Amino acid sequence: MITVGIDSGSSTTKAVLLEDSKQLAYTIIPTEFDFVKASEKAYFDVISQSDVQEGDIGHVYSTGYGRKNIGLAERSISEITAHALGTSYLFPEIKGIIDIGGQDNKVISVEHGKVLDFLMNDKCAAGTGKFLEYTARALNIDINDLGDLWFMSKEPALITSMCTVFAESEVISLRTQGILKEDIAAGLIKSIANKVAIMAKKINLHNSHGPIAFVGGVAKNRGIHAALEQEISTTLLIPPEPQITGALGAALYES
Amino acid sequence: MPELKTMEYLKKIYKKRVNELQELRNNGVKVIGTFCIFVPDELIFAAGADRTILCGGKNETIPLAEQYLPRNICPLIKSSLGSIVNDGCSGIDSCAHFGLVDMIIAENTCDGKKKMYEILDDFIPTYVIDLPQRPDTDIALQYFLQELESLKTELEHFTGNEITSTKLLDRIKESNEIRKLLHQLYCERKRDPSPISGVDVLKIIQKQFFLSPTEFKHILKMVIEEIEHIQPEQESNTKPRVMIAGCPLSGGNTKVPKIIEERGGVIVCEESCTGTRSFWDLVDEDENKDPMLSLSQRYINIPCSCMSPNKKRLESVVDLAQEFNVDGVIYYTLQFCHGYNIEAYNVQKELKKAGIPMLSIETDYSDSDIEQLGVRIDAFLEMIS
Ligand code: SF4
Ligand code: SF4
Repeated sequence: MITVGIDSGSSTTKAVLLEDSKQLAYTIIPTEFDFVKASEKAYFDVISQSDVQEGDIGHVYSTGYGRKNIGLAERSISEITAHALGTSYLFPEIKGIIDIGGQDNKVISVEHGKVLDFLMNDKCAAGTGKFLEYTARALNIDINDLGDLWFMSKEPALITSMCTVFAESEVISLRTQGILKEDIAAGLIKSIANKVAIMAKKINLHNSHGPIAFVGGVAKNRGIHAALEQEISTTLLIPPEPQITGALGAALYES
Repeated sequence: MPELKTMEYLKKIYKKRVNELQELRNNGVKVIGTFCIFVPDELIFAAGADRTILCGGKNETIPLAEQYLPRNICPLIKSSLGSIVNDGCSGIDSCAHFGLVDMIIAENTCDGKKKMYEILDDFIPTYVIDLPQRPDTDIALQYFLQELESLKTELEHFTGNEITSTKLLDRIKESNEIRKLLHQLYCERKRDPSPISGVDVLKIIQKQFFLSPTEFKHILKMVIEEIEHIQPEQESNTKPRVMIAGCPLSGGNTKVPKIIEERGGVIVCEESCTGTRSFWDLVDEDENKDPMLSLSQRYINIPCSCMSPNKKRLESVVDLAQEFNVDGVIYYTLQFCHGYNIEAYNVQKELKKAGIPMLSIETDYSDSDIEQLGVRIDAFLEMIS
């Protein structure tokens, strides 16, 4: 059976193509303005990467923010269920998942791929990928370099605001005080890690007897990874491509 | 499910009631506004007055209230005041009854409402009853009884009618009749699958303190008769059964229940003031007992989050979840409602012990978070099915 999972996210659209649960292809493209167009592009991307014909595809499932509007998909599942399925497939023994995406954070408690409990951040960009993006801009650095500064900082600055807009002005004010760039960056990272760790602790992930995985675009950021491990005092497993676990889970749905 | 005839009937009820209230007032009958199920309407009726609930469920009237109130308080409070200060708020649907009350009987419950009442008194004479916050002592009962006695005197004064024990007992019986009918309606929902949607039940129960008892009884009988014979398709059997617990869902507010049912769940019970809290316990009808005492005993026991400690509520949430055989509980709170919000922690703890999953959501009356709520609710329904 050949299946495709599409994760229609606010910043990126991901697709994974599986044959009998074996991953043949994946893609990650910017969503840009049109969610539907992006999903179609991602879909044909994975097909053309493999030698599969469109007609051979058994099922298409969608997940993610725009999942309800993906005409290609026969049904959609929530991001929580998708991440639980996808991540547990990669790490069958995990008990918890932390996902930091472009627009939201999720923490999920799982057992054999089944969701036991979860939390998502409220309607606010605090501690999400967007927060990083905006504050990196206020620091005048590329978001990809932000994480590396974590390791250079000896004394992370204290960032008190959780609101993306206010944090941006807080960064500027720290800059005017002559605080080192790496210390401000580390302060931002620490504040995100702290916020996510609190969510994880709320559903008791820190006490789950088993490994925890870290997924989503932000998991590629080495600094956040290290800071988060420090905050919840455990090592976090990161898949080779942490951005596609949702799409993978959608492709695995009902198999 | 096909649309119930009762729901058709309900659509025309608003206008009818507004006309009725207008007519009553023209004939010199006093109409009293209330906000809370701690105010015994038996007393109001026994004084020959009528009453109507003034809890706001509409987003549109909130900006009107923000002239008087801070922005960061519960939307129910803002919506209510907004509807009143604008006297029937013309142009806004189902708002006319807010302009038809002669007096308000309020209650000291949460901080937000308490302080709002002080402002409200500038617009409509407002009488406030006090509540002991720790309800399970003898002194508390004595105190509450005294408060109700004072209310009785106030009502007699205001209406010019004496409240006799006989009249009061009659009204107690009538209110109990309604409570029993509501039990019957809720009992139907214990069937699996439930023969009626949660949104329909909510739309009915939101009218409990708006309509006259006679009309409300009529509606309850109509809906019970209608659904008794419904045999829902077996396929709806797979729908996860959900209980809502938390803040009231005031008239006009069906946002979250709608999301839950549109996304495939079915609500079979509400632990709420627009739900079980409003009817679960009956008032003692013992004729050899002072009906004022019977009233006090029943009302002081309402498990609202403004009581502390509030063990009764924790127990009742778990009991109801089990009795209605739910797959999960959606804990519903309004933004800035600290009582219900904070109590979520202990409710979650108790439900966990009983092995019942719970999802907490916090929202307001705006539409801005419908998609975000939908994502969580989808995930929760997938988790419990
Ligand atoms: S929640 Fe409490 S204060 Fe509000 S109506 Fe119910 S009993 Fe009254
Ligand atoms: S919902 Fe909460 S804050 Fe609002 S009126 Fe009721 S008890 Fe008070």
